[in-house]
Amino acid sequence: MKPKLIIGVCSIVLFTSLLMYNFGTSISTYVNFEQAEHQSGAHVVGAWDNSQEYAFSRETMQFSFHMKDQDGNVRRVVYPRPKPNNFEQATQLVVIGEMRNNVFYANEMLMKCPSKYNEPGDAEFVNAEES
Amino acid sequence: MEGFFGSLLVSAAFMAALFSMLFYGLYAGSDRKGYAKAADILWYTKGAALLAASAILIFLLVNNRFEYFYVWNYTSLDLETMYLFSAFYGGQEGSFMLWTLFGFLVGTGLIRWTRDPYKGPVMFVMGLTQFFLLSMLLGWDLFGLNIGASPFRTIAQEMPNAPFIQANPDFVPADGTGLNDLLKSPWMMIHPPIIFLGFSMMTVPFAFAIASLWKQDYHDWIRPALPWTLGANLCLLTAIFLGGYWAYETLSFGGYWAWDPVENASFVPWLIGTAGIHMMIVQRSSSRAHKGAIFFAILAYIAIVYQTFLTRSGVLANQSVHSFVDLGLYNQLLMFMLVMLLLGIGFYLYRYKELPSPEKESTILSREFMTFTGGMMLFVMGAVIILGTSSPIIGRLFVENPTPPEIQFYNDWTMPIAIVMAFLTVIGQYLFWKRHDWESLSAALITPLLITSMASILTIILGEVRSLYTMIFIFAAWFTVAGNGAMLIQQILRSPKLIGGSLSHIGFGTLLLGIIASSFYNEVMLDERGENYNRMVEQGEMLDEQGFPVTQKMEIFELSLNQPELINNEYMVTFEGYRLTDSPRPGQQEYRIRFEPVDGGKPFVMTPQVYPMLTSSTSENIEWSVEPDVRTRLFNDIYMYVAGSSYVDQLNSRNENQAGNLSVADQAGGTENGEETTTLELQRQQSREIGPWRFTFQDFRPASTETLPDSTVIGVRSLIEVLHEPSGSAFEMEPLFAVYTENGQSWTYSPPLELSNWGISLRFSSIIPDRDAIELTLNGLSSEAEEEWVVIVAEKKPFVSIVWLGTFLLMGGFSISILRHWSREKSLQK
Repeated sequence: MKPKLIIGVCSIVLFTSLLMYNFGTSISTYVNFEQAEHQSGAHVVGAWDNSQEYAFSRETMQFSFHMKDQDGNVRRVVYPRPKPNNFEQATQLVVIGEMRNNVFYANEMLMKCPSKYNEPGDAEFVNAEES
Repeated sequence: MEGFFGSLLVSAAFMAALFSMLFYGLYAGSDRKGYAKAADILWYTKGAALLAASAILIFLLVNNRFEYFYVWNYTSLDLETMYLFSAFYGGQEGSFMLWTLFGFLVGTGLIRWTRDPYKGPVMFVMGLTQFFLLSMLLGWDLFGLNIGASPFRTIAQEMPNAPFIQANPDFVPADGTGLNDLLKSPWMMIHPPIIFLGFSMMTVPFAFAIASLWKQDYHDWIRPALPWTLGANLCLLTAIFLGGYWAYETLSFGGYWAWDPVENASFVPWLIGTAGIHMMIVQRSSSRAHKGAIFFAILAYIAIVYQTFLTRSGVLANQSVHSFVDLGLYNQLLMFMLVMLLLGIGFYLYRYKELPSPEKESTILSREFMTFTGGMMLFVMGAVIILGTSSPIIGRLFVENPTPPEIQFYNDWTMPIAIVMAFLTVIGQYLFWKRHDWESLSAALITPLLITSMASILTIILGEVRSLYTMIFIFAAWFTVAGNGAMLIQQILRSPKLIGGSLSHIGFGTLLLGIIASSFYNEVMLDERGENYNRMVEQGEMLDEQGFPVTQKMEIFELSLNQPELINNEYMVTFEGYRLTDSPRPGQQEYRIRFEPVDGGKPFVMTPQVYPMLTSSTSENIEWSVEPDVRTRLFNDIYMYVAGSSYVDQLNSRNENQAGNLSVADQAGGTENGEETTTLELQRQQSREIGPWRFTFQDFRPASTETLPDSTVIGVRSLIEVLHEPSGSAFEMEPLFAVYTENGQSWTYSPPLELSNWGISLRFSSIIPDRDAIELTLNGLSSEAEEEWVVIVAEKKPFVSIVWLGTFLLMGGFSISILRHWSREKSLQK
């Protein structure tokens, strides 16, 4: 009885600490472009900088654009897929990838689109009236 | 007006729910029949009010009453009728309503079937959950405190400060914003009702567990609770399957599972519910594990409420692709969760000392131990996934502003647990039906082990498996299938009613095989250029502009019209053109991609679609969405979608030009922007080609007098056939040419006709009688033929069908068990 209980408790403690340790290492915090320099799988939050050129190149099959992170750093971002559907509408972008030589190579990109349900703007009602 | 009645009915239902709950509570405390009778009547009153409110909501939706925010927000005039029902539960408010409705139906069943002593407390708990769910729908404003969000609120109530409301309080939009295009799928019509039916049924084991604690009768509750739990799990499993299938077929996620918080929200309750089923089975067959059975019955429902809280309160807003609208229900959802947690876990701990515990420990080699451990494993897997999903809360222990865990975290932890479960299922099944010691067990397992070894070795050789971990995984999966399969055969021969367990476990093994095969052998399809590129990337030879090695591989290839390309050394793939189908959505295109197997197999055509998202597109900026095409074969799926095309590109740049140069274009009549005016002389039955277009002058047509100016001398139309060759789109146009006199002078009148999707206008500008020809003037044509191309993302996904097969076997196993336990429960009642 006693040894069984001890083994049980030990294995639970071991399992939980391993799990929590691994959980802790598999999450990270959102960073800016400067902090992303030394990190793989960095998550950077920011917004599309629409004052600079952006394009999908059929030569390299990459989409590249400039993004301004939350601290105002602007960097070129390269995304190895076509321009996502709702790219221009996104109010916020999250790019996940790595920074090399001042270019951010995004393996994944998430877009936060303006939630029209939360703050319906006037523009939408104009559209609704017109149609 | 209808909205007022709707809100009133919801409020009435809420009050009725409150009082029926109180009366059931009194009945549970005093056992006086009178209380039960009153409570039942209140229960049915609530149901009637709820049904009437739902009917009003459907009425408003069907009649396009856009002054109501919910109707405006989720429907539009062009929405097909069947999706009006999807719109009913397309938003948060409606989905809470649906959940409450199912809860009412389940509770009504319980009133009929539940015996004393459990009836009072069971119905009390059912009433309590209904009370909370209805509170989400109230839309009350109590001293500045908002309670619930009513589906019946009007636009004026929703946005009182909007300028157009202040200008005109009775403002009614002409059309709604429409249902999200992605939800317009038959799968998405049946998915939510099934999931909420599952959630509602999962309330039953929770209610019975509380009832057993309340009445201190810990034995009999599992009899009625077990079939309900099985039913709830069957629903959740079906819903998970539908969601996965939808994600695979309709969305361009590229897979059936992504560990998204909303997917986890239905998966975790399923895992814990299944853990509970295992405990209940132990309790039923050997009168042990009461603690575990009650605990998991409680936990499964709490998991549902917790995940509801996570996905609907806005906590996960940044992490999920599923955008749930934050309705400001955070506090209410938190209350709901805390009350359930307190009631469930608090009560459990309060009674913990009293709960029956076995007199002696069971040996390792017993069915109790194996089934119990299996249940624990399911629970541990659920706990790991809850931890991952809770990263925005729990992650704060480690970092500020935590990101979701990498997908690897889920895979790394669930896969080893699944391997352990796989072995347990076989040993557990063998011990369940017969006592074994180590020796007799090994003897019984020889045949399955032989089959497993052979199947595994074959799989490993054929699949060129290199990693030991994968080998163990494959072995475990085959062992589950073979071991439980042997058991299944024995059972079919003796008593076919009992096969529920072994069939589910075979399903589990098949699912594991499918998961490993479909994820390990997933292959991106590429042309030669892409393959070379990726090879160079792997060797570090591919350098970017600054001379740094590129690490990202190419996952796309491009096809030009009618130019076959060799893909994966396996298929000659040709882009054969596209068609503007305009169906089911306006502006939808269907692309024809032809695959010819190099080894001489049968050629086939795939038809991925691209369409504009009507709800979020504007005239300047079209948001495109894709609909993948999946070619499903027994062992190999091909999955593809069109990520870009010349047509979409042209349309986009034209829209941008229009947006940018609106005023210029208006003044210059569209001759700017590099577009040219072309004139074309055509004789009858003659065709001319310009770029991708072919124009044929068929014949003259008489012009009806109404369309002509008053003093017309001549008026005639010409029938022109217009063909866009790459897309095969053909149009017939009848432009008008007229000569009229005004103030003694002759004028010609030839209004332009627009080919709206293509930005071309065509004018019948002159007649040349001596050559029997007409002159057409075309605007907006580019003189050179644009190259037609598509950019394609395609993947070979082997064995996805095995995943579905495993799921179906699991469903089958659950269904058989439900029938068995339900019929026994029924016969007991008689």
